[in-house]
Amino acid sequence: MDQNDQSGQSVGAGPLSGYRVLDFGWVLAGALPGMVLADMGAEVLKVETHQRMDYMRLGRPIVGDEPDPEQHPLFHNVNRGKLSITLNTTKPQAIDLIKELVAHCDVVIENFSPGVMDRLGLGYEVISGIKPEIVMASISSNGQTGPLRDLRAYAPSIGALAGLDSTMGYEGERPLGLKHAYADIAGALHSVFAIVSALHQKERTGRGQYIDVSMLRATVATMGAGLMEYEMTGRVMAPKGNYDPVMSPYGNYPCQGDDAWVSIAVRTEEEWQGLKEAMGNPAWCEKEQFASRYSRLENRRMLDDDLAAWTRERTAGDITELLQARGVAAIPVMGAEDRLFNPHFRERGLYADIVHPSLGAEPIYNIMWNLDRTPPSIRRHAPLMGEHNRRIFGGLLGMDEKEIARLEEDQVLW
Amino acid sequence: MTYSLLQGLRVVELGESVSAPYCAKLLADMGAEVVKIERPGVGDQAREYGPFLNDQPHLERSGLFLYLNTNKQGVTLDLETPTGREILGGMLAQSQVFVHNLHPTEMDRLGLGYENLRAHNGQLVMASITPFGLTGPYRDYKAYDINLAAAGGICEGLGSPDREPLTFGTPEVGYFAAMAAASSIVIALLAGGGQHIDIAEVEAMAGIYNGPEALMAVYQWRMTRRTGHHALDFPYPNCILRCKDGYIFVGSPEGRQWRKLLEIMGDPEWAKEPRFRNRTTMNNEYADEVDGYMEEWLLQRTKAELLALALEHRVPLAPVRDFGEVRNDESLADQFVAVDRPDTGPVSFAGPPYNLSGQEAMPPRPAPLLGQHNADIYCGRLGYTKEELVKLYQTGII
Repeated sequence: MDQNDQSGQSVGAGPLSGYRVLDFGWVLAGALPGMVLADMGAEVLKVETHQRMDYMRLGRPIVGDEPDPEQHPLFHNVNRGKLSITLNTTKPQAIDLIKELVAHCDVVIENFSPGVMDRLGLGYEVISGIKPEIVMASISSNGQTGPLRDLRAYAPSIGALAGLDSTMGYEGERPLGLKHAYADIAGALHSVFAIVSALHQKERTGRGQYIDVSMLRATVATMGAGLMEYEMTGRVMAPKGNYDPVMSPYGNYPCQGDDAWVSIAVRTEEEWQGLKEAMGNPAWCEKEQFASRYSRLENRRMLDDDLAAWTRERTAGDITELLQARGVAAIPVMGAEDRLFNPHFRERGLYADIVHPSLGAEPIYNIMWNLDRTPPSIRRHAPLMGEHNRRIFGGLLGMDEKEIARLEEDQVLW
Repeated sequence: MTYSLLQGLRVVELGESVSAPYCAKLLADMGAEVVKIERPGVGDQAREYGPFLNDQPHLERSGLFLYLNTNKQGVTLDLETPTGREILGGMLAQSQVFVHNLHPTEMDRLGLGYENLRAHNGQLVMASITPFGLTGPYRDYKAYDINLAAAGGICEGLGSPDREPLTFGTPEVGYFAAMAAASSIVIALLAGGGQHIDIAEVEAMAGIYNGPEALMAVYQWRMTRRTGHHALDFPYPNCILRCKDGYIFVGSPEGRQWRKLLEIMGDPEWAKEPRFRNRTTMNNEYADEVDGYMEEWLLQRTKAELLALALEHRVPLAPVRDFGEVRNDESLADQFVAVDRPDTGPVSFAGPPYNLSGQEAMPPRPAPLLGQHNADIYCGRLGYTKEELVKLYQTGII
């Protein structure tokens, strides 16, 4: 059945409508898979507790000075579309209620430290005992087993351990480290894929599935070129600045304006000719050092300097248009604001304005996985803590108001 | 490693380099039967990208190609010809999924749009992975990894303030587009098939990867500015520092972790200064100075010693490892699997990053030689005779 999303657009029920997810995922890596499934139409129950709040709810408030769990913009991004129920897992009754909910769900997601679910009496053995066809995914830094299992690790730790950081920096200088949570996203997206594949298996065979995803392994799986360099040649890579083994020019070049840069990459001879033409065939292009793909690679730094002298006199936008018109890959280095107001991303709907009760309209990114017949959509703002206790415990589990109130008072629903 | 979650699924891949090939590899590693189409004679660009076994350049010895194409069957097909496109149509009629990363202008030129292809199979799920997507003003723009990283938000925060913004050391953006495409394909199948999926590589970075940044812009957080090895507006430490035999990531998002770290360091006097009481201030204003104090201690310890301390005291220290160290990490040994293949002998690759209960993980099949499965697919599956196969070869179609 069609409904309207917050921006008033008519949206379909979504490709995963009818599936229900019990989502213990928190912070980033654990919260993202449920977010994707919610955008795709699944009903995602985010299980939270005041006993130990999702870190993403903490942090400095946007409005006022008092801590406020409803004010964290990152939380609003990665939990939109979910329903929130509060269950204090230090209370046995909460564990019983979770087991009741499992019977109504198709997927369970969690990213507690390894061993926590077992300690709560909610390990896969128990969960699959309640519902054998359930799909359960555990996401952790370094897997549920092995010597690094208990290492306290965050995205940057994993970037370091996986080799990702070892190649990022200026040539011959220290590794810098990414500012983004690469490992969280790699772990979360591999998890989404494994979860929906397990649902495919369930629909075909009726089998349930336990999935143990390691963020370290997920990051390692994306290190194809670096790991293969070692495997094939025995060499290890080190920072080389902006570098590609088969492309030159390949870099970010300075432009007119404050800290403005344009990325340019040339692979084929045809593209090199296009670049020359776009620049009006300046004399320096005819240097012997730039005569072939090979010699341009050999003399890449000289070429970078000559090209930079040309780009410096122009804006990144003008250079992009000039070069792209001749089939040369170029695009400005963009910041968040550049993307927010960029005509291409606006037309494609990279951001939607979603109204949240505590902060008003905020730009929330869409997952741009455009399924033409059943597109994903942001169905509602991120939930307030426990916003849906009545809907779920009353509506789904059939508890009466008195019972719910008592459980709230006893800090079971808390 | 190969699992069976997607057993029985038939996939056709027309992929070059990273994005579409990794997408099809994800599907293949879950048990789907993937047929990869390559250009006759030259094949996938990744075949010339290397790294090559013992530095001997050869179409069949490119490490990146071998990694991204394990578990697939391979055919050659010239889609510039009507006969080639007809053969593609025949393959799609017998498959559920088609994934490609042709540029939109090439899709148009070759007549490989969804409307044309679904004529062969109304239930077809087709995923188009393109640099900027199938709509919008940049639709026809070209891009390589650095361009996608630049527009997608990687470069702006990587590097020193007065120097050029940097990108990944190796091509990475395609992996994120691949994960988006593979997940979307299975989701579309769960919804009954018959869909076209539009995945823009740049949005794989700009969307789920760093979409929340828009809010940082709105609320004027600065964590993604280019500030060398430090990030603004984080509590110190959250950076890579020097140690005895290399570099170590040092973090402490929780206060108790920082206190523990100081305790391990012997509660140094400098840490008691009032100006270091607020760790975000310490990070934003005194990071270089504090790096010095930290490194004095770190430089007396190796990566291995620091990792042992991290495990013992539950503090977030992590060695910056090169790819040799990653490959030789015993805790990852069972992720790697050796695959034997003509032209290379056994080569080890990273396998899927998940352990799946009750699944018997089968060893993977090696990446196909160029055109290796032409007879199997064209004769065995599509019913061409041996004579016709020879003709297709002689006329350069396959």
